[in-house]
Amino acid sequence: MKHPWLNRLLSVHGLLFLFFVYAPIIIVVVYSFNSHPVNMMVWKDFTFDWYLSIFGQPTELNEQTLYVESTDQLLAAVKNSLLVAGTTTTFSTLVGTAMALAVYRYYFRLKPFYQGLLFMPMVMPDIVLGIALLVFFVNFSIKLGLMSIIIGHCTFLISYVFIVVSARLAGMDNTLEEASADLGAGPWITFKRVTLPLILPGVVGGALLAFIISMDDLVITYFIAGVDSTTLPVFIYGMLRRGVKPEINAIATLMLVFSFLIASLGLYFRKRS
Amino acid sequence: MTQAAESIVEVKEAVKRFPAPEGGVVTALDSISLKVQQGQFVTLLGPSGCGKTTLLRTISGFEDLDSGAVLIGGESVLGVPPYRRPVNTVFQNYALFPHLSVSGNVVYGLEVAGIKKTERDHRLKEALERVGLSGFERRKPAQLSGGQQQRVALARAIINQPKLLLLDEPLSALDRNLRQSMQLELKSLQHDLGICFLFVTHDQEEALTMSDQVVVLNQGRIEQIGPPDLLYHKPATRFVAEFIGDSAIFSGRIQNTEASPVLVTEDGLGIPVGRGPKPGDHATLIIRPENLSLAPPNPDDSVSILDAVLEQSVFRGATHQYVCVLPNGTSISATPTGADDEAFSRVSPGDSVQLAFRRNIPHLIIESQ
Ligand SMILES: Nc1ncnc2c1ncn2[C@@H]1O[C@H](COP(=O)(O)OP(=O)(O)OP(=O)(O)O)[C@@H](O)[C@H]1O
Ligand SMILES: [Mg+2]
Repeated sequence: MKHPWLNRLLSVHGLLFLFFVYAPIIIVVVYSFNSHPVNMMVWKDFTFDWYLSIFGQPTELNEQTLYVESTDQLLAAVKNSLLVAGTTTTFSTLVGTAMALAVYRYYFRLKPFYQGLLFMPMVMPDIVLGIALLVFFVNFSIKLGLMSIIIGHCTFLISYVFIVVSARLAGMDNTLEEASADLGAGPWITFKRVTLPLILPGVVGGALLAFIISMDDLVITYFIAGVDSTTLPVFIYGMLRRGVKPEINAIATLMLVFSFLIASLGLYFRKRS
Repeated sequence: MTQAAESIVEVKEAVKRFPAPEGGVVTALDSISLKVQQGQFVTLLGPSGCGKTTLLRTISGFEDLDSGAVLIGGESVLGVPPYRRPVNTVFQNYALFPHLSVSGNVVYGLEVAGIKKTERDHRLKEALERVGLSGFERRKPAQLSGGQQQRVALARAIINQPKLLLLDEPLSALDRNLRQSMQLELKSLQHDLGICFLFVTHDQEEALTMSDQVVVLNQGRIEQIGPPDLLYHKPATRFVAEFIGDSAIFSGRIQNTEASPVLVTEDGLGIPVGRGPKPGDHATLIIRPENLSLAPPNPDDSVSILDAVLEQSVFRGATHQYVCVLPNGTSISATPTGADDEAFSRVSPGDSVQLAFRRNIPHLIIESQ
């Protein structure tokens, strides 16, 4: 490029961008190890106490600075979240993949319309979806609980999986399936040995995306969760309403680590294909 | 000859139409009939869009016919899905499985058929040796050159010992040198294996070099079926003559007497031709470059003379090609040999020449009225 100062400006821009995105996250991680009991923005000492206290271990912390009153509640929320995310991921991956295959393979009259409908949940505001689901469940007297959360999550996660798998299918050479049939493989064997291995990175990617989105969805879940079906994001939100305490940093850091693990898993699968 | 020369594949009056997105229909196959006999190398030759791929796909089972029939080994395969037909295809883009290694690709058909591992390994080794790819077993298709990928596609098809191998322009992606050596290899492979090849190309040279029989297609119809030399020397239609080899083509009406007919073209050029046509017939004369030389000093009745002007001479290795222009503006080439070539080479561009051909040699297509 002609102007060195332009280059420098670009680098500065890049750095600023990274700073804006990551600085808050880094601060959360760092202060999750800060032992200052009252003001969490003032660094005192390094400690694991916040982590210990989340898990109900005895610490040297003053009782009143803690606000996870019951570790059992937290663990129950984590369990609910994992259960919801696991079930929705399995279901929406199966259904989303099957729909992507069907739309890829067959031509039908309302196909473009149908594809448009499948994109809709991705752009629909969460609030609208949440209210709509709530009204729906109440009208049809479906009890709000884990089941309603699972159904609610599936309604939009199927779309995510559908879109990710469709993108993968669009890049697939469709003569490969013909080559398989030509070599004597029936439809099922062709699916198992050619189609599935080729779209697997898309399927895995879609599943991981669905899992992460389901794990940290707050808005929609907030509307359709019952009393006894608090998920982790809903639980944290509830904690925050009673004031920001340092333990929140530790919980956020743990969730961050968990998300990174899942994202790395996705990257690993992409690399391998 | 007994009836034992059974046909491996027979196509009977096949018709295939596609709905065109613009509206109306495209007739991709228009009443095609053809037979492939045991051990033959048959080529489908024709310009782009004439229906070659469609014809192959109806044989391999990926397209259904609108009417007519495909018979494999004497039996109709109507409704038989592709995976139950005893034919294999080498696809134009090879269609190798990117997630499988070379050996995974090649043994695919055997695995699917449930052949035992020991036999699979044996046949894999043999197939790879045949196509010269021993040692490449563990590579992925993306790690191979175009020519090597082509061989994998070939090995993957022949390892199943099909009755018929369909090849859809398998050489079109290769460069000229590789293409020519692959042509010879394919031909000898076909000879060694003794299975039928139905080969698609739009390259007439390729068709002439490799085939026992050539099927010339045009707009979904068969123009002519025959061995290469027949197509070259006795093309049945003007289309075949234009498509195969270089030639100067003259269409017109026959005038004068039956004993010494003269072909008169629309722009008034009169060319004496050999006996055969009657006055009033519509005829097409096909003059190949090798039919032409300089007129001898005092020509007799058996040669016809064309007045022309030499435009340029092109060096062609063993001979020259002399490009001349007739008074009506058509250009016509001559490739004389030996002494004739020498005589011609003394003419310089821009000079008038008298081109001569023996009247009974060039092919005349006669359409009596
Ligand atoms: N699925 C389809 N839908 C509509 N028209 C089609 C379809 N497949 C082929 N055609 C039409 O049928 C005709 C024959 O096509 P085909 O692919 O057989 O040509 P080809 O001889 O193989 O040409 P090329 O040498 O370019 O491969 C073409 O006019 C093509 O546009
Ligand atoms: Mg084609």
